[in-house]
Formats: sequence, C-alpha cells, structure tokens
Amino acid sequence: MNTPWAECIAKRVELSTPLNSWKRVEEGVFLHSQGIAVYSGGVFHETPFCLLFGGFLIRSWQSYLHLIFVGCDLLTAALLASVASSYSRQLLEQQKNAVSQFASDASHLLLTSSALGTGVVYVAAAYLFCPYTIASCVAQTTSVFANLIIAAAFASMVKGYPVIFGTLVALVAYQSFYPVCLMVPGILFFMQNDSHNLKAALLKPLLSFLVSLGLLMVISAEVAGGWEFLEATYGFILAAPDLTPNIGLFWYFFTEMFEHFRLFFLATFQINAFVYVLPLAIRLRKDPVLLATALLAFTAVFRSYPALGDVGIYLSLLPMWKHLYPFMRQTFIVGCMFVATSVLGPIMYNLWIFSGSANANFYFAVTLAFNTAQVMQG
Amino acid sequence: MERSRLPAILEKHHRPICIVLYVVGIIWFVALAHNAFNHGTYFSENALLPGLVQGDFHSDSLATQYLESLKEESEKHTSGMPYSWLAGQFTQLGLDTFTHNFTLHYPLGSEKVFTGKNVYGILRASRGSSTEAVVVSAPYRPPTSLLQGNAPSIALMLAMASFFSKQVYWAKDLIFLVTEHEQLGAQAWLQAYHRTQSGAGVLNHGDLEGRAGAIQAAINLEIHSSQVSHIDVKVEGLNGQLPNLDLFNLIHRLCQRENVYHTFKNRGNHPQPETFHGWVHQVGTLFSMISSQASGVPTGNHGLYHRYGIAAVTLEGQHSMHHPRNRRSVSFQQLGRVLEGVCRSLNNLLERFHQSFFFYLLPATNRYISIGVYMPPFGMIAGGILVKALALWYSTSCAAEQQEQEKVKKIDYGLLGGFPTVVMVHIVSVLLHNAPYRFSQVGRYLALSAEDSVFLGTFAFCASLLVLPYYISRNLGLQNRSWEIVKIYAVLELGILVFAGAVYNFSLALIVTVAYTPVALLTSPSISRWRRWLKAAILLLVHPLTMLFLFVLMDTWSNFSDLPPNKLLWKTYIATKRALMYSVVDGLIYSNWVYDVAVQCLLPVWLLFWQIALHPIQ
Repeated sequence: MNTPWAECIAKRVELSTPLNSWKRVEEGVFLHSQGIAVYSGGVFHETPFCLLFGGFLIRSWQSYLHLIFVGCDLLTAALLASVASSYSRQLLEQQKNAVSQFASDASHLLLTSSALGTGVVYVAAAYLFCPYTIASCVAQTTSVFANLIIAAAFASMVKGYPVIFGTLVALVAYQSFYPVCLMVPGILFFMQNDSHNLKAALLKPLLSFLVSLGLLMVISAEVAGGWEFLEATYGFILAAPDLTPNIGLFWYFFTEMFEHFRLFFLATFQINAFVYVLPLAIRLRKDPVLLATALLAFTAVFRSYPALGDVGIYLSLLPMWKHLYPFMRQTFIVGCMFVATSVLGPIMYNLWIFSGSANANFYFAVTLAFNTAQVMQG
Repeated sequence: MERSRLPAILEKHHRPICIVLYVVGIIWFVALAHNAFNHGTYFSENALLPGLVQGDFHSDSLATQYLESLKEESEKHTSGMPYSWLAGQFTQLGLDTFTHNFTLHYPLGSEKVFTGKNVYGILRASRGSSTEAVVVSAPYRPPTSLLQGNAPSIALMLAMASFFSKQVYWAKDLIFLVTEHEQLGAQAWLQAYHRTQSGAGVLNHGDLEGRAGAIQAAINLEIHSSQVSHIDVKVEGLNGQLPNLDLFNLIHRLCQRENVYHTFKNRGNHPQPETFHGWVHQVGTLFSMISSQASGVPTGNHGLYHRYGIAAVTLEGQHSMHHPRNRRSVSFQQLGRVLEGVCRSLNNLLERFHQSFFFYLLPATNRYISIGVYMPPFGMIAGGILVKALALWYSTSCAAEQQEQEKVKKIDYGLLGGFPTVVMVHIVSVLLHNAPYRFSQVGRYLALSAEDSVFLGTFAFCASLLVLPYYISRNLGLQNRSWEIVKIYAVLELGILVFAGAVYNFSLALIVTVAYTPVALLTSPSISRWRRWLKAAILLLVHPLTMLFLFVLMDTWSNFSDLPPNKLLWKTYIATKRALMYSVVDGLIYSNWVYDVAVQCLLPVWLLFWQIALHPIQ
C-alpha cells in the first residue's frame, strides 16, 4: 500500500468509481471542514454518515489508514468464514434429517463434514487472496467498508439475529442502495428457522430495518444540514449522470443515447438490478443464503457504478457451495473469461485513453465479456 | 454424471484439430500478402485533402547553401552539435527559437552522466491561436557518428522553414526540431514538452521555455545526401505501436504526385503483384515489417511520438547505386514539394488522426492488412493453445472422477496442486527482472563491462534455472500431483499472453505464438529417455535467450552472408550481448517492454513447460 503502485491502482476506473473512491471522500471531508455545502457540487456522492466516519478517520487515524483498510478486510474474511461454518453446519443437519428419503445410489452425493470444513477455509482464503479485493483494498475504496457490513449482515442472518440483521442491511442499503434486496432472503431465512412464529420472524427484521433507516436518514439530514444529500447520493446512483467508463454496462449506453430516451432506458436498466429478486426468491426459497449470494452477484453486475470490490465479495462466498461444482457446466470457460477479461480490460483501456489507438468499443467489449462471465457463473 | 458430448469429442480429436488449426492458420496468414486477401489503401480522413493545391516550394538552392554552410560548421565541432549556428539560423528566419538541455544518468555499469541539447524553432501560425502544432524534426549527427550523416535533412528543414515563414495559410504552429543523441534527444524533448516521465526516471528531461499547442503529427527526416534515389517511409514505433494509416497514405500519395520513388522497408512495389513472384515479394516486405515491429525498437525518432498519441513517420532518403530500377534521382526540390504538401495537408486537419487504422500490417506501400483481416488466422494459430487447455481440463476432470469412483487416491488433480510451482516460477522471474542492475554492480568489481556482466549474469541465471525442476519435485513433493494441472496453468498463461500481446504488438505475439504453440502441444513427461531428451532439446530451442540468439543470428546472416561460420557465430554472440543490453537499457529509458515481456511473461511459461517435460513419472 505504500508502494508507488498504490496511487496507480487507486486511479483505475475498474476499482474506483465516483461512488467509492477514497479521494472523493477526502475531498468531501475537506469541503465539509471548510463549511462549504458538500452536496451542492458534483464531487461528493457518499452518504453524510460516511462523511462523518471518513472525517473521523482522516482526522484521527490518517497515518494508520492503510492498517484500517487491511483490518477491515481481515475482519470481513473472518465474518465470511464464520458464515460459511454455520451455514455448512446447517446444511449437514438438514441432510441428516432428510437422509432417509434419498435413494441409496445417491450416497456419493452426500455431504461430508470434512468437505464442508475445507469450504470454510476456502471462503476466507478466497476473500483474502482474491486479486479484486486486494486491489480494491490497496486502492482504499469504500467498497471495503460496504463489504464488511455485508459480511456482518450475512453472519447475523445465518446465526439468527433478526434485529441486528435488519440494522446492518439498513446501514449497507443506506450506504450503497442496491443491497436493500438482501432483506428478501433474510426474511425468508428467519421465517423458515422460526416456523411457529411467522409474524415475529417477518416483523423483527423489517421493523428494525425501517427504524434504523429512518434514524440514519434523520441523522444524515442533521449532519448535512438538509435533504439535498438525497439528490446527490441516491439521485446520483439512480440517474447515473457520471459516464466515466467503469466495468458496468451503463456508461457506454448512456453516452450513445438520445436524451429523450434516457429516462426510459434508465428505468429499464435499474429494474434489471431488482427484477430477479422475485423469480429467484421463488426458485431458491429453500436456500436463502444462496439466494442472497445470487442477488449480490446480480446487483454487482447491474448496478450503475459497479467496482471490482463488489465482485470480490460474492466470488469469495461461492466456495460454500463447493460440493455443487461437479454439477456446474461452464466452470472452466467462465474462469478463463474472468482471467482473460481482467488482463485485457486494463490493456484496452490503456490503448484507448493513453495511446489513442483503440477506442471505447474495445474496452466496452471487454467489460461486456466480463459481465457475461459473471452472469454465466451466476 | 452426464456430460455434454462436445468436450468429449474435442478431447478425443484435439491433436489433429490443433495441428490443422496451426497449419491452416500459418498458410492463411502467409496468403494475406497476396492482393486477393488484402486491401488497397484509401483515405478515411477527408480533411487532409492531399495534393489539392499546386506545390510552390522552390528554395532548393537555398537548401544547398544551408547544406554547404552546415557542413563547414560541423567540421568545427567534430563531436558536438553547432547549437549556436542552428539557433542563429532559426532566429534569422524569425522563428521563436529555444534550446533544451537534458541529462541522462546511465543506469548500468559505472553510472556515467551524459548531457545533450536540442534546438527548436516555432513558426507561430498566423491563422490560429497556438492550440495545435505539427512537428518537423531531424536528428543531428556529428561527422564522427557511425551512422550515415543527416546534414541534408537539416538543410532542407531550414529551407522549408524559410519558405513556410513567408506563407499566410498556417492554422497550426510548426515546430522545427533538431535533436541530439538520436532517440535520446527526441525522448527528452517529448517528455519535457508533455511534462511526463516515462521509464525508470534515469533521463532528466529538463524543461522547455517555449511550447506550441497539442502536437497533431510529426515528420522526422533522415535524408543522407542531397541527391537520393528513393524515399523510404518508416512507421514502426516503440513497443510496436504504429501511426495512423492515413498519415502513411498521405506520404505515399504525395510522393506519387511529385514523382518521387518511395519504398517501404527499402522494398518498392512489385510491378505485377498478382503473380507468384509479386506475392513472394510482398511476403518478404510483410515479414520484414513483422521482424522490425516485433523488436519493439523504434526504427526512427518518429517511434517515440506514438506513445503520446501523435501520428509520426520517418522519411529516410537513401542513395543506393544498385537499386533495382535506376530511376532519376530525387532532388531537394521534389522532396521539398512533398514535405510542403504533407505539412499543408496536416494543416488542414480538423481533429487529430483517428479515422483510419492504427492496427495494420503492410505488404506494399499501397496495400494494407487490417486487424480484422489478420486476426482470424492469428486466432487459428493461437487457437490450438486454447483447444489444448480445454482438452486437458476435460481429461483431468474425467481422470479425477474415475479415481474417485475406484476409491484409490494416487494423483492429486486439485487445481491448487499446481499453484506452488506457478508461484515459484513467477518469483524467480521477478528476481531476474530486477537483476540487471545487480549484475552490472557485481561486474564492476570483477572489472567486466556492463554489457558482459549483464549478459553473463542473465545467462548464468537462466542456466541455473534449468535445474529448478529437480529442486521443486524433490523438495515440494510433487510426484503425486498431476502435471496436467501445471500444464493447464502454463497453457492458459501462454494463451492470455499471446492474445493480450496481439493487441499491443501484434508481430511479437505472432512470433511467440508460432514458436510456442507446437511446444505447448508437445510438452509432456515421457518415460523413454530419448523422448525426454528430445523434448528438452526442443524446449531449449524456444528459450527466450535462445530465441534472441537465433533472431540475431538471422539478422547477422542476412547482413554479412559472406562470413565464414565461426566468425559469423562470434559476431552473433557479440550482437546478442549488445541486443540484451539494449533491451534492458531501453526498458529503463524509454520503457520498452520487450525485456519485461520476455522475462516476466515468457520465461515463467517456458519454465513451467520445462518443469512438465522433466516431471518424474513412476
């Protein structure tokens, strides 16, 4: 993080979007400390709470900032590992209850505790050694914090703390909006675990979500001195006015688009992020954790300012379903696509922006392939 | 478990498929030199309007005068550049004249410091606001230089500056630049102009006192005598980057108009390109371009402009007695007319070059092969690598499944099993990449020249790496791990390397692909000792160092074909040492990537293959 590479990495569009770059946080904190309205300019799009938190970090922990980012990542990995271990224990229990109904020749498909145990190690290792998360930690993006909260939300879900879960999802939805869809798998999970008291299982997380979100909004308005922050944060996420290239699908379409179609396509694109919630929830109702991971993956693809940090977290959750790998068809091709697009992306960007010899289509083709790989793997 | 049938078919027949792909790809690629497969060049940028106006440059006598007086002047400064004379001439013509100092801290060996100076004059546009500029440059060579003298280009440049300064139609500033120390001067000037630093920071580029706007295009002149037989247009730049094809077409069109015989790679167009001989001739031109582009070394000062998004070419005027068609020689008058036309066309540009191709190959001055045409055969040649990877993946997963059913765990087919080896060879490569500086330091204690120490150090390092497989398999206990997994890693890395390389430096990627695809298909451990040695020998033949040696050998042989073999080999050895040294130093000064690619990308792949070929089999 202290090498000259860090600055170079922090500038990469694949990692730092207008929504999560630390540079913008610093800028916002500085403007705030000078008493300038942060949200009236077009620079700062983080939430007021992040402004407070970032300000605190920058004032008191400036010299240990690297360590904080690394620490957050370590904590995320630990949380993910605990998610994996309790989830695998639950899977084993379910299997023990249902084993009598299986056909006898399916015995080699049964899960063993040792296979699931290695899965736990793999989840933590996948998060810690995934190049995407490492790079996004080095780039000091706020995705690191978002990932931490998501991991915590997952942990509170599988360990069965509905109130904490609601609060955490409120926090992460408040921060980056799209994870709001995590509420669906959460509620499904609690309802299944607590089948004799459905009403409580439904209401507890929902109420805690609404109350914490309301509280956060009020605090934010207090901090920002008004409600303009809504326009600058959620308005910015939904309307996608900044068309800097990133790994997503928005920028290319919206630079090409005629202005009077913009609203229509904006709605179409944004619906894409949420439209899969219902069908997936019906199909995967038996396994809400898998549902949550799938939803994370879909929002990572279809959000307006995706970054590699968002990709990293759901990729690292996948080893939990290691036992399903033999049933996956395109693992190899998808893996190759991930690697190839990760290498080609920066190259195409370089050829386009710096050498001036390629153009935007080259880069977009690569990001498109990257997203296709993500969807195929999802 | 049910599997789709396609991979099974692929796995069964992958050998013939790979061979067919490889052979057909190569035949297709060579066939591209025939006019039936490539296309005639055309202008995409309509704003250029080439040759729309009658040229009226007539200062050829002035150019001759400048040449006389420059020659006189350079006699007085046998090793340096006559700065004051040049600056004086520019000032007399009424240009904004500046000098620019730069310093090079030579990175290897005894860490010498070199200084140099560029002189440039800016002709401010009468119809513009200095937001855009066109560069006309020429390197200055003192009489002691080993290269052919370049005084006529500077004389022509001054005569043109004199003519241009009297014209009223300029909308872009014209910068007339005379650089010292060949590419070093041009690189320092460009860095100073854009205030950027590239390479390892060993070149202190100083600062410029005067600038014009964003540079749109640059023409570099290398005219070696006042009467030349033909003009050779050079396009290949740093790291194989090329200028926009429109600029090349522009030169071609204007040379034709002024009746100047012009060539590409010193080879003219064949009179009957459709015939077999015409095709052979064009193949020669094509391969000549590929070999020079692959080295990543610019063929002239123009090559350094490309990095800044500036289209640039070098016009080299040569006087060769035995040129196939002994045409009437080209005078200053004609050259001046061509340059006038080029500058006026560039003056017409409304936006920077972007219309035409940046990725192309040229089999003749009026034919081109675009990226869309050469990529399919390349994809076929390199496709074998991917097919092999897929087949290996399928066969290993089948084998793993079978093993699981038989409940005997003999070989570990886990993907992570190959990981330690892969990480290890990469660490080794990074070590070698950072080693040349250490080598040169050690060499100083042993009283070796930097060139010797870097070459011997690299050679010794590579030679010691040959025993790596024994070390790895003994200490990491890899006997029970599948070599196929390691090979999947190696083959995939090679695939990514060549496909990613193909968009940067196509020629380099092509050469690597042609050399490595057969190796990627062949390499496997064998029980028979003879086979094992044979595979090892083939592998040694495509080791990056051996490949360097072979290419230098070919180059030396084509230049000095009448030498006896032992002298030829000795000369090649010396040239290889120098080539290695240059690639290291160019990497540090200009950020040429050839050394990085060879050491950080190609060497690990090679080491993995080596490891596989010597994998112990029970």
